[in-house]
Amino acid sequence: MRIALSSLLTLTLLAGMTTAAVPAAAQGNPIKIGAILPLTGSGASYGVWMKGGAEMAAEELNAAGGIAGHKLEIIYEDHAADASKAVTAMRRLVEVEKVPFSLTSYSSISLAIQPIAAQHKVVIMNGGGQSDSLAGKDYLYNNIPVVSNEVGVIAEWLAKDKKLVNVVMIVANDEAGRNSASTFREKFGAVGGKVVAEERVALDATDFRAQLAKLKARGGDLLYISSYGRNVAIIADQARELGIAVPMAGTSWVLVPETFKSKGAEGMLVTKLPFDPNSAFAKKFKEKYNTNAGFFAVQYYSATMIFAKAAQEAMKKHSGALTGEGVKDAIESIRSFDTISGKLVFQANHGAVMDIEAGTLKSGKVEVEKTIKAAP
Amino acid sequence: MTAYLAHFLVMVAIYSILALSLNLLIGYSGIFSLAHAAIYGIGAYSSALAALKLGLGFWGGMVVAASVGAFASALVAIPSLRVAGDYYVVASFGLQVVVLAIFMNWTDLTNGHAGLPGIPRPSLFGWVIDEPYKYVFLAAGFAVATWAICWRLTNSAFGRVLQAIRDDEIAAQAMGKNVVLVKIVIACISSALGAMAGSLYAHYITYINPSSFSLHESIFIATLVILGGSERLSGPIVGAFLLLAIPELLKFMAIPDTIAAPMRQIIYGALLIVFMLVRPEGILGRARHGR
Amino acid sequence: MDLFLQLAATGLVVGSLYVLCAIGWGLIYGTTLHFHVAHGAVFTLAAYYAYAGQKFLHLPLAIAVIGAILAAAISGMLIDLFIYQPLERRGAIRTTLFIASLGLLTLIENVLAIIFTPDPLRMDVGWLADSVQLGPIFLTRLHLVSVGTAIIGFLALMAFLKYSLWGQAIRAVSSSPEMARTVGIDLRRVHLLTYAVGSAISAPAGILLAMDVGAEPYRGTTFVLLASVAVIMGGIGSIPGAALGALFLALLENLGVWKIPSEWQSTISFGIFLIFIVVRPRGFFGRKIQSAEI
Repeated sequence: MRIALSSLLTLTLLAGMTTAAVPAAAQGNPIKIGAILPLTGSGASYGVWMKGGAEMAAEELNAAGGIAGHKLEIIYEDHAADASKAVTAMRRLVEVEKVPFSLTSYSSISLAIQPIAAQHKVVIMNGGGQSDSLAGKDYLYNNIPVVSNEVGVIAEWLAKDKKLVNVVMIVANDEAGRNSASTFREKFGAVGGKVVAEERVALDATDFRAQLAKLKARGGDLLYISSYGRNVAIIADQARELGIAVPMAGTSWVLVPETFKSKGAEGMLVTKLPFDPNSAFAKKFKEKYNTNAGFFAVQYYSATMIFAKAAQEAMKKHSGALTGEGVKDAIESIRSFDTISGKLVFQANHGAVMDIEAGTLKSGKVEVEKTIKAAP
Repeated sequence: MTAYLAHFLVMVAIYSILALSLNLLIGYSGIFSLAHAAIYGIGAYSSALAALKLGLGFWGGMVVAASVGAFASALVAIPSLRVAGDYYVVASFGLQVVVLAIFMNWTDLTNGHAGLPGIPRPSLFGWVIDEPYKYVFLAAGFAVATWAICWRLTNSAFGRVLQAIRDDEIAAQAMGKNVVLVKIVIACISSALGAMAGSLYAHYITYINPSSFSLHESIFIATLVILGGSERLSGPIVGAFLLLAIPELLKFMAIPDTIAAPMRQIIYGALLIVFMLVRPEGILGRARHGR
Repeated sequence: MDLFLQLAATGLVVGSLYVLCAIGWGLIYGTTLHFHVAHGAVFTLAAYYAYAGQKFLHLPLAIAVIGAILAAAISGMLIDLFIYQPLERRGAIRTTLFIASLGLLTLIENVLAIIFTPDPLRMDVGWLADSVQLGPIFLTRLHLVSVGTAIIGFLALMAFLKYSLWGQAIRAVSSSPEMARTVGIDLRRVHLLTYAVGSAISAPAGILLAMDVGAEPYRGTTFVLLASVAVIMGGIGSIPGAALGALFLALLENLGVWKIPSEWQSTISFGIFLIFIVVRPRGFFGRKIQSAEI
């Protein structure tokens, strides 16, 4: 009976799989690309921005006739900060859907799927992860500067402008958190600062009191938060609850809606990547998704537009055929793209550079105090 | 398309090995372990590290995996099998949690949350097994070998002692059988096989991280065994087929991903409850009714 | 020293929740011998009942909490009534019951995840979230309430078992079901009662946790397994033992991170447990055990 049941299931499965087979961008067919994003879990608020930005770009492109006459279709996959889910999703996108390109997010995720991208010659573009290890990898492009830029800026600002030189750190125990923390240590040390203590936490934990208590005991003038997503607000609240009175700081990673709403995060010193909340894009986003746009919404909008331009170029060159290799060659030859946040130039290491702003979190907004221009 | 089917078959083969090996414990010895995912993970990490850091190939990695798996299991089995079965359940849970914590936090060794990418594919006499369909043969081969080992074990004198212990442990002890030793041996064999499945997995996906080896995974493997049925050795294999097909079917029903994952778990949970109500004498049922 | 005291205080607060969970589970396990992992689901359900009561029925916090405890007690009873008792009537062995319980735990957790999403849902606790400073120790009022609840819960349970007729019936069944049956005690009724009481005692733990860090669907599994460790350490059949085991675990976990990197927190509890099993399998106060069948 069980054998009959499993045979039946297998047959249904095979039937389903064969009907789902689609040829790559043939005449008139839609162009499919992937998007592996944090749709659920601790980073879900990034996911809302990333998916929204990409969706808006796709809609605009399709309204204007698509890419060289083909409609753009984005297949969204949720990685939920779990690289093995991302690997499975990437395999499916590459082997079943045969996409030439996929958006990706998070450092750990992008690093995990990059070998597959390189092997199958599929371009992946990261608009969010900032780990330094993302630079210089085959078929992986980052339209965001790697973290050492931003961390360097905040380290210098804290040490020189704010005169806060003894720091305790709370670090997310993953690739991004740890990489950013060690970069901070290095850069902060270079400008005369000192990291007195460091504690690691799980990204999806909800109770950080033990680690915070240990950090409190070590003193320091500042608590540096090398973490991101939902737990930043909880860290800030619990820190204040435990009587930690020193200021807190973090890079643009900490700027998620939960942090803006948290009482504990009031007064946090932050750096941020440029984003104009009054731009036409932001207004349209708010209207459509009923939530404020953030930096990452713009990022993924831009990344999708960059793909569109590269794809157009590739198809022109290869008489209508679209492959990952074609997209890669197009990106390399075009190099400089006009985006809604200004000109974006891909560097030799497949990363980008941008201006950085530094300021204080006050009543749900960042009051910018200083802008550091991008060093090319 | 065949690439995806091949992928499905490889996973069925790997899970069959996991289910067959866990069945040695749950079905044949009456020992309920919640740590099989940890063993699976130990196998995967040992093999991957052996390949990445020591340069051993897939085959060497497999040997390392089996040994480390058996050793870890012995560590837990020896103290906890001396006492009641419920103790073993909780102790296995403890092993599962501790092992996962080691994967997550011993970052110098395991790279923690970020995992280990770039694990090499196996090669046989210079012929690299790089495409999914080739891997199907390799994985299926191991599954068949595991099946043969289990068959041999259970149909031997050792197997009869196992059955005696399962049916009436106190009587077996009275007859002079060293019950604890037998249980430890079977736990080690089960773990060696489970660890080998981990090695297969690591060299196939070429990337591993701790989240694939959680408590939920242990529960899933146990579900495979229970639903597949342990009277026949083919049971766990059928269980693997069935339960791996369900998520694939859900995918084709275009259920949003946020619902699909919990939905899968709900189906597994419901199946477990229903099966238990239908077969209350349990998975050892056949033995109770006199085999 | 300040750090030590702070960690000890956090340990006591967390320990309070473990105590409530352990004595409830221990009561059920000691009396029915069911390895009721679905207790974790009841724990989680209690949290969501309280959340839903506040958010959707707009009940004042105290009413929502009381309602949630009652609802949890009923939920526990329904599990026994509709799953465990039918299984026992059909001659189920204990492993079968455990598996069904595991299935139920998985099912309930994931249904909750679909309904409420897997994200933690914060409750409005008003002034309970305010910080309180006791010397070098910082806690919230809610934390103090947790400790108080555990103390009251424990004493209430002990009194109930010792002085009330129902409590004595439970103790009779716990020490010997056969004898109890001979004396005319209706085992099924006592089981239902045990589930009601056990669930009601552990419900506050789930609710307090939700009030502190939010209601989440998957926490119950960890808590119930920790509770079982505490009960085994404390000795099966002993409520004070379970409470002691729970406190011991919590203090060890929190004080352990004083010197050990905090990521290793959970490893500590289980390491201790495994050592304990080797050295003293019957726990602090338990009955002497031979290798019993599962």
